Amino acid sequence: MNNNAIELAHEVFAKANVCSSWQRPVSIGAIIWQQLLKTPVAMISFWIIFTLVLISLLSFLGLAITPYAFDQTSADILQGPSATHLMGTDELGRDLLSRIIYGSRLSISIGLITALTAFIIGTTYGAIAGFCGGKIDSLLMRGVDIAYSLPDLLVMILIGVLVGRGTQGILIALGLVSWMGTARLVRAELLQLQHEEFIDAAKTAGQNSVWIILKHLLPNAVGPIIVAVTFAVPSAILSESTLSFIGLGLSPPECSWGTLALDGWHSLRTHPHLIFFPSLFIFITVLSFNLFGDALRDAFDPKSRNL
Amino acid sequence: MFWLIIKRIFSALIVLWIVATITFVLVRIVPGGPFDADKNLPPQIIANLKAKYHLDKSVSEQYVLYLARLAKGDLGVSYKYVNRSVNDILKDAFPVSCQLGLLGLVFAIVFGIALGTIAAVNRGSTLDTLAMIKVTLGISLPSFVIGALLIFVFGIQFKILPVGLWESPYHMILPALTLAASPAAYLARLTRSSILEIIQKDWVRTARCKGLSFWQTIIKHVLRNALVPIVTVLGPLTAILITGSFVVEFIYAIPGMGRFFITAVTNRDYDLIIGTTLVFGLILIIANTIVDIVYVMLNPKMQIEG
Repeated sequence: MNNNAIELAHEVFAKANVCSSWQRPVSIGAIIWQQLLKTPVAMISFWIIFTLVLISLLSFLGLAITPYAFDQTSADILQGPSATHLMGTDELGRDLLSRIIYGSRLSISIGLITALTAFIIGTTYGAIAGFCGGKIDSLLMRGVDIAYSLPDLLVMILIGVLVGRGTQGILIALGLVSWMGTARLVRAELLQLQHEEFIDAAKTAGQNSVWIILKHLLPNAVGPIIVAVTFAVPSAILSESTLSFIGLGLSPPECSWGTLALDGWHSLRTHPHLIFFPSLFIFITVLSFNLFGDALRDAFDPKSRNL
Repeated sequence: MFWLIIKRIFSALIVLWIVATITFVLVRIVPGGPFDADKNLPPQIIANLKAKYHLDKSVSEQYVLYLARLAKGDLGVSYKYVNRSVNDILKDAFPVSCQLGLLGLVFAIVFGIALGTIAAVNRGSTLDTLAMIKVTLGISLPSFVIGALLIFVFGIQFKILPVGLWESPYHMILPALTLAASPAAYLARLTRSSILEIIQKDWVRTARCKGLSFWQTIIKHVLRNALVPIVTVLGPLTAILITGSFVVEFIYAIPGMGRFFITAVTNRDYDLIIGTTLVFGLILIIANTIVDIVYVMLNPKMQIEG
């Protein structure tokens, strides 16, 4: 009688697929990946991002993957796209495609490094605020609120005045501006999780705070954090190219898509291809990261899918 | 309400003082001064110039002098635009930036809300997809690319609109469109999700049942309620518009504050940097205060409590 009841329960659960405790546990990463595999937009943007990152890594090989050296001048100045120069040449006869590939290493690495900085600073800051709560929390978040309401570009330019321009200055300026969204998010997640029973259990068991944050709180907030970090990449790439474009970011001989766009801007009237191609690369990169971020968010949070 | 405004003015003054102090310290502790570019000036002249602008004194003395002048409403002098005070420059530049910003804001609100509404009521249809593609474009294209595209199409190919300077209303169209592109996309996305949430409410069905037409319901009942979250983002939106104005004024050679700010940073024109930053700060404070007041007005619940 008892055995029958258990068997029945097994059957019911198996049919309704409600309980998975008899099945092999599936990791959250695998579930998300399955979800992404089903979304064509996610896969297309993933492979575009993969290719672009690969190109920017391979650009260190120089001539092995670019048709010309990025600073090799020639007599063919300001040519439109042709078979020898797929994207044309600039006013010094340098091949634009080679320069864009060379520029991708700065543009993309600045995006990725900024996202990493945003992740580290934002998570730490948000975790401290969310875990401590009370006065410390309101003090820390007040600071974020004020800094968050300032125009990014204004703050970045002012920080740039202090730390100087060039790659290092840009990274510091972007890093200091980009972490606040992540911090807010982590804090909100942690405040919510604080009242869960398993946190009480961990506290009662005498585990120390850092361990509870790292082992119990953050893993439960991993979805929103990954999504926020994904969105930090395109916004950093946009900021870098915008700063470089208005002449307050990178400057020659450093070369990113933003500086290339600025070069092209000067000859927009006569040779529009010079601004078209760098802009196209910025656009495709930012678009891919945005679409991939959207897909990630939907995968983590089925509720947002319909909105 | 009266005490709220007094409190607001007081806290605004404190914030502005903090902003002034931070910017002041920031521009003074960096190596390189405003007269570095004029390399061939004899040292005596540089010393005289520095004495004239009190740059030979210690930073703390300069700070006291600066605050004393600031209290009188004097933002100082520009080192680069000779004989022009920062007040003078801002007096010319502020209205230009204001016109650009307000026109951009109007474009952003009109296009953003219209696009979001159309997308939401036609949810899942081709129109929705098209609107959302436009939104994604607006978010993923840097504003200088949008500007370059507009200039290329309307200014160079068809030659129907002027592409630079700030002289007639025609000169304002392209810059304002460029400025509005990304906030419009942002607003459209927000409007769409806000409407989709409200359209499912019971009282929307009631309004329809009582005989209101579809668009009457949308405009009178749905949009009005959907506006509340939209009003709250007008603060951040102002920040986006200021950021955008740097690029737009650079591209279209508009003599506004963003452009002066950029050249001031390049020239290390100390007082002009602090002056423009303060005005930007003031604009943000005013925008956020207006948002707070409108928010209370839109939400009767808060009036009773507050």
